[in-house]
Amino acid sequence: MNIYLLLVTIGMVLATFLTRAALLLVGQRFKLSPRVEAALRFAPVCALAALIAPEIVVRSGTVDLSLANSHLVAAAAAAGVFLWKRSMVGCIVAGLLVLTAFRLGTGG
Amino acid sequence: MGGRAFYRDPAWREELRRGARSVLPATPGVVAWGLVTGVAMVKSGLAVPWAILISLTVYAGSAQLASLPLIAAGQPFWIVALAGFVTNMRFIIYSASLRRLLETYSLRRRAVLGYFTGDFTFAMFMERANREGEFADRDAWFLGACWFNWLMWQIASIVGIVAATAIPAAWGLQFAGTLALLALAIPACVQWPALSGAAVAAPVAVLARGLPLGLGLIVGIVAGIAAAVLVDAMVARRK
Repeated sequence: MNIYLLLVTIGMVLATFLTRAALLLVGQRFKLSPRVEAALRFAPVCALAALIAPEIVVRSGTVDLSLANSHLVAAAAAAGVFLWKRSMVGCIVAGLLVLTAFRLGTGG
Repeated sequence: MGGRAFYRDPAWREELRRGARSVLPATPGVVAWGLVTGVAMVKSGLAVPWAILISLTVYAGSAQLASLPLIAAGQPFWIVALAGFVTNMRFIIYSASLRRLLETYSLRRRAVLGYFTGDFTFAMFMERANREGEFADRDAWFLGACWFNWLMWQIASIVGIVAATAIPAAWGLQFAGTLALLALAIPACVQWPALSGAAVAAPVAVLARGLPLGLGLIVGIVAGIAAAVLVDAMVARRK
């Protein structure tokens, strides 16, 4: 039994339930102020940016903003394809193709 | 409930079916997203039984993908849960709109409908409610839409989880999760406040990544939200 993964799962189930159902359960007594609502509106995009940026620019523990960073080039290509085609699948395929090209080119 | 059970009522059951049919157009997107999430979970190192358990219980694609690099890095469980919570915060906004339409139903039914809310089911439900107001048996319609969406998602996700074990790690599919999140982030950046938030959150999270307990992520998110709220207020003042 992996206690760590069990705690992660329980925590994530709570995150799912609290964000989706908590307001439905407390009824109309509890109101969101416009400022809180604005913060809630921007939180997900900030979380996405904060999550993916290190995955893309940090390689082997250091920041690599050069064209030798395969993750950076792959993400740029994926973003370009997404802006052009508006397709998530296209975005993923483009990024993975660039990664594969890098791997074949460097042998690693 | 008293008397005849609600689920035996033909009108209720008809709304349940109509709800399920209404989300059919979204199925290709749900299936693709579920497959990517399933594959990425296994390729990031999660064992198949854990990946299936998390898929069935957490039921939140972007939060699941967000958790993967944090789990792989062994971050504390509460940081992983907090990241999932923040990624899911759009649902708090959704539920603020749903509340008025569902407030007449029992606590238990509201809890069930809330838990199963998805992005597309919410959008379709609000679209119909905006046309027809508080239409009869809307709980059945919503439940039908949510149930069908849940089923399609779980089938795709579990197919992805099982198929991933046959895909060589060298294909680099663990990066597919990051690319999927990128495809979610880009359209969310269409307006200045959100773009500013992302532009601040990303470098701050990178620079703060060495903080203990995975707090670098939280620092990045908080800095991003602060920037977005500030720019939002500036934009509002200029109008």
